[in-house]
Amino acid sequence: MTDPIQDAEHRLTSSFGFQAIRPEDKPKLVGAVFARVAERYDLMNDLMSLGLHRAWKARLIDQLAPRQGLTLLDVAGGTGDIAGRVLDRLAARGEAPSAITVCDINPAMLAAGRDRALDANRLQAIDWVCGDAAALPLADRSVDAYTIAFGIRNVARIEQALAEARRVLKPGGRFFCLEFSTLQLPALQALYDAYSFRIVPWLGERVADDRAAYQYLVESIRQFPEPETFAAMIARAGLERVRFRTMSAGIVALHQAWRL
Amino acid sequence: MSDPDSMPSAARQTAVDPKLLDLLVCPLTKGPLRYDQGGQELISEQAGLAYPIRDGIPIMLADEARALAEDDAIPASVRAGDDPAP
Repeated sequence: MTDPIQDAEHRLTSSFGFQAIRPEDKPKLVGAVFARVAERYDLMNDLMSLGLHRAWKARLIDQLAPRQGLTLLDVAGGTGDIAGRVLDRLAARGEAPSAITVCDINPAMLAAGRDRALDANRLQAIDWVCGDAAALPLADRSVDAYTIAFGIRNVARIEQALAEARRVLKPGGRFFCLEFSTLQLPALQALYDAYSFRIVPWLGERVADDRAAYQYLVESIRQFPEPETFAAMIARAGLERVRFRTMSAGIVALHQAWRL
Repeated sequence: MSDPDSMPSAARQTAVDPKLLDLLVCPLTKGPLRYDQGGQELISEQAGLAYPIRDGIPIMLADEARALAEDDAIPASVRAGDDPAP
């Protein structure tokens, strides 16, 4: 295991937070976490990130620059958060909704998303499907853009998920991945650690009534590879012109690539 | 996970968007699916699996799919008697 990419892949598939697990157990363990927090997921994102996730996602939408007619697959997007932001952006430009498919492995997250879309009267624009990022139920070369926001670290077989992203993208299609990354300011490390491992689980307990779920979330963030390593994983999956940009002192990174 | 008590809402949400059905393929074989409206399933003949549609959401996970029994290809009249006939 001297190859940093294989090393990172191995660490992701065989961990549940800081717990060592069998890779085949990861989907069920992660699934249970999201089934428990689905209802409070978006609220918790606001609280945990002090609202910063809105700016991070806005950057993703800026880079995606959705136009009328774009076909988009949003993976691990169960609550419809990214899909809703894409629709808002199009509406703000006076353009008709795109064809957006939200694919999530967790039915509870999808149910929460669809209920919310129903309330917001935007049900028609979004298709909801339960599926695994590592075995997508879409045809080859079928979408213009693939997005995954704060989802890929929860995927059990990350290299297969990246290969699937490439497969479903049309030639000329674009890949976007927003994910937690590695803090780049050593002066903030102690504060970031205290916030992650003390405040976030406490918030999880108070707001979502589930400390363990949020303990998992912060631990899983620390298992995710550095942006350079993740960029190399994306390139290895056959996506091209990989680039990334870190935000908020490296707390998150936005990776982009093309299928050419 | 289905809730039999919420029939009005279930009925409203049962319809699957036809354009979604056009989009979907079997996650294992990437082959075509046949929509069984009565059974609310998406059937992959190649994989021998029937993916359930729950509350209008297709569940495209092999773990959740029903394996097509050999029975499914055989007329009901010649099946073994332990299967309650419809």
